[in-house]
Amino acid sequence: MIVAEGKPVEKILEMVAPFKKVLIAGCRGCVTVCLTGGEKEVGILASQIRMARSKDGNPIEILEQTEERQCDVEYNAKFLENVEQVDAIVSLACGIGIQYLGEKYPSTPIFPGVNTLMLGANIDVGKWEERCMACGDCVLDKTGGICPITRCSKSLLNGPCGGSQNGVCEVSKDVPCGWQLIYDRLSEIGQLDKMREIIPAKNWLRAKGPRTYVREDLTLDRS
Amino acid sequence: MTITNIRIGIYLCDCDGKVSKKVDLSKVKTAIQSQAEFEYIREADVVCGTAEQEKVAAEIDKYSLNRLLIVGCNDPFITRKFLQLAEEKDISRYNVEFIDLSAVDSVEAAVSAINSTLGKLHLRAEIGYEELAVTPDVLVIGSGSEAAAVAKAISKNQPVVQIDHETTRVVEVDGFPGSFTVRLLENGKTIKQSFGAIVLALGAQPQYDANKYGGVNLDERILSLSQFIKTDKSYTGKKVAFVLGKADADSLLSFAAVLKAALDLKDKGASEVDVIYDDMKVCADNLEQEYELARKKGVNFLKYDGEFQINSTSAGATFQYREPFLPIDATRVAADYLVLAEDFVPAAATQELAEILDIRTGPGGFFQKDNVHFLPIKSNRAYILFVGSCHGPIHGTDLYNEIEAVVAEVSAFAKGKAQVPSLQPRVEAKKCAVCLTCYRCCPHHAIEIVHDAEYDNMYNSAARMNPLACQRCGVCAGECPGKAIQLPLYSDQEILFEIKQPAKIVAYACENSGYLASEFAKTLDPQLQKDLQIVEVPCSGKIDVIYLLKALEYGADGVMLLVCHKENCKYVWGNNRAEQRKERAQALLNQVGLGDRIEFVHVAANQGNQFNAAVKEMAEKIRQSGTNPGKVVK
Repeated sequence: MIVAEGKPVEKILEMVAPFKKVLIAGCRGCVTVCLTGGEKEVGILASQIRMARSKDGNPIEILEQTEERQCDVEYNAKFLENVEQVDAIVSLACGIGIQYLGEKYPSTPIFPGVNTLMLGANIDVGKWEERCMACGDCVLDKTGGICPITRCSKSLLNGPCGGSQNGVCEVSKDVPCGWQLIYDRLSEIGQLDKMREIIPAKNWLRAKGPRTYVREDLTLDRS
Repeated sequence: MTITNIRIGIYLCDCDGKVSKKVDLSKVKTAIQSQAEFEYIREADVVCGTAEQEKVAAEIDKYSLNRLLIVGCNDPFITRKFLQLAEEKDISRYNVEFIDLSAVDSVEAAVSAINSTLGKLHLRAEIGYEELAVTPDVLVIGSGSEAAAVAKAISKNQPVVQIDHETTRVVEVDGFPGSFTVRLLENGKTIKQSFGAIVLALGAQPQYDANKYGGVNLDERILSLSQFIKTDKSYTGKKVAFVLGKADADSLLSFAAVLKAALDLKDKGASEVDVIYDDMKVCADNLEQEYELARKKGVNFLKYDGEFQINSTSAGATFQYREPFLPIDATRVAADYLVLAEDFVPAAATQELAEILDIRTGPGGFFQKDNVHFLPIKSNRAYILFVGSCHGPIHGTDLYNEIEAVVAEVSAFAKGKAQVPSLQPRVEAKKCAVCLTCYRCCPHHAIEIVHDAEYDNMYNSAARMNPLACQRCGVCAGECPGKAIQLPLYSDQEILFEIKQPAKIVAYACENSGYLASEFAKTLDPQLQKDLQIVEVPCSGKIDVIYLLKALEYGADGVMLLVCHKENCKYVWGNNRAEQRKERAQALLNQVGLGDRIEFVHVAANQGNQFNAAVKEMAEKIRQSGTNPGKVVK
């Protein structure tokens, strides 16, 4: 799941300062699950901003709407009626949703209400941990199912480095050494020999700009 | 929750002329008629009279009324009569409201009270009764005398399976009260069986702790109490001394066991029986009687104080101590056998079963939180019950009372069906992101994620609250990030309607503490509540961050949360969640410079004075911060 955190409200207040009527758009996908951008948080942020602006003698009208997923155009179409009424949008979706909703309504300014943090797992209520960086070239088969790109602070493909002390990373005592975790798991499943295998450098070159993914077998010809 | 076809009947009762002395009811009627939505309204002299009741019954039919608002008084006699009438007419008791006008002295106040209740009646979800099929069978876990006693008592009403959790072990428990699916492991084979309720009766484990006796180890002359009880050796002509008070200082178990053993020894011809104690504890059942009897039969009771010394040889053991009342330095008791009391610790399987069953342990690692609401037999999960020393050493009458309580509780399932009002939260599947937040935050393990093609969301799944497991605290609704969960009678709509035009201070009050304290406080200082609006919630865990903000947005100057004392929440951690939400809401206010406007108060139902002190403090806080500059004027 994509994990995001709420942006400091003073930043959001700056963004919407010139506007009198704003839509706060929530998303029922990842940001609802990570308790940052669902209907509840939309209501809380709206109330907070209304009060802040009221206090400054510059009242603002805020519409609230939450739809299924802001990373799908069909769901974004549902915001039309409200978008037409407002001067700007604050989206509480992830970075993808914010941009994609903005693309749907190009003449209305759109602002981020959250900071998108990571692809993570929900460890317990209110706790998330990063597990994947979407590198696009998965090596989990070689590393005992533990991602070195994410779990090693240096994203080393062949570790550990000298900063690994008693299973802890030198970066922080709260960060376990990713390569120690890999070593322990490989030894548990009897695949320690994989530690000897040199994993070649990944191709990080993004000469073609943002990544796209097309499956010819699924694309639809609507002509 | 959308509710359709609401047809409200309003009866303005003059209470035999009492009301019209202060309030002109025809003016009230005209005012209500001009603005409110309802189906039927009329005045009556004494609406609770028999003839009137018949008339009301006919009107319910004639106008197809399905909700009633009785304005006049809320005398228990009258409320009972109307609820009976409603039941006859198939109107849920949750759709009948009463307004007491005895303290109201103006048309405006009466109209405002009526409009407020009318608004809530409009927003109220339909609450029916569900009849559920349940398994009458009860699983008793434990092998001692306590387990046997409770199993025998339950078996008079319904089937019981008793397992020891050794030869037959509980591996997994799934499902909800009325139909727990228990996976049992027996002789390497797994069996699945359905049980309506589960009773834990593991007993407690005696444990000798040498440190309590100056490092003395047990040997053939020095025995622990449990060793002594287990051996059926003859002590005829022998001298036996018991030592009490060093271990198991808090319960009566050792005292009771020693008195019984002492009497038994005397009967069987022991030459001398001494009971050496520091404080004699006889405050239960027949213990004092047994103590008197033991004295009569010649058992010696010797009081010691502080330091002592124990020695043993192959021929006997001695206990040397200071007698607190006699002017001598040391007294020595020599006996053939010295028997030492032991501590009681939780049975070995306690922690394992707590994890399997998702129930909490408390002081000393025994089952059950140290929380008065769970006494005597309840866990945090409905129909998973404790009996006997597995939740702290108990004895005698206490045990029998617990067994009685357990029998009464599980008998609800004896007939194979159970009827419950559908008061559990409702989930709007369209808004449910199946995020598991409610599932994880539920203190009662009452929520499941259910897949159903009918569910109108991308997962075809949604959370569902089990009506027998759910205890209606509303913690889940307060957590839901998608606002998919609504608790009947306390939906967001109903609560936000209540605070639409708030008083200066809005106080969200738990019905188990703060609300009751407010009622008491009103009698102590009625004037103080002039600017205070109490909003009743089933548990402070229902108080949402948005409720706190909205009260201020709508115009209140301050908000209070009146919650149960720490470790004393009826719903385990509702008050802790409330405190966390208060912290967040206050941080949100600080971020936009609205100041310190939220007060979190632990209060008990009987703390009217503390309640008033807290209100005064809040008023002072507001006086210092000034009126709320964030209120949004429409």
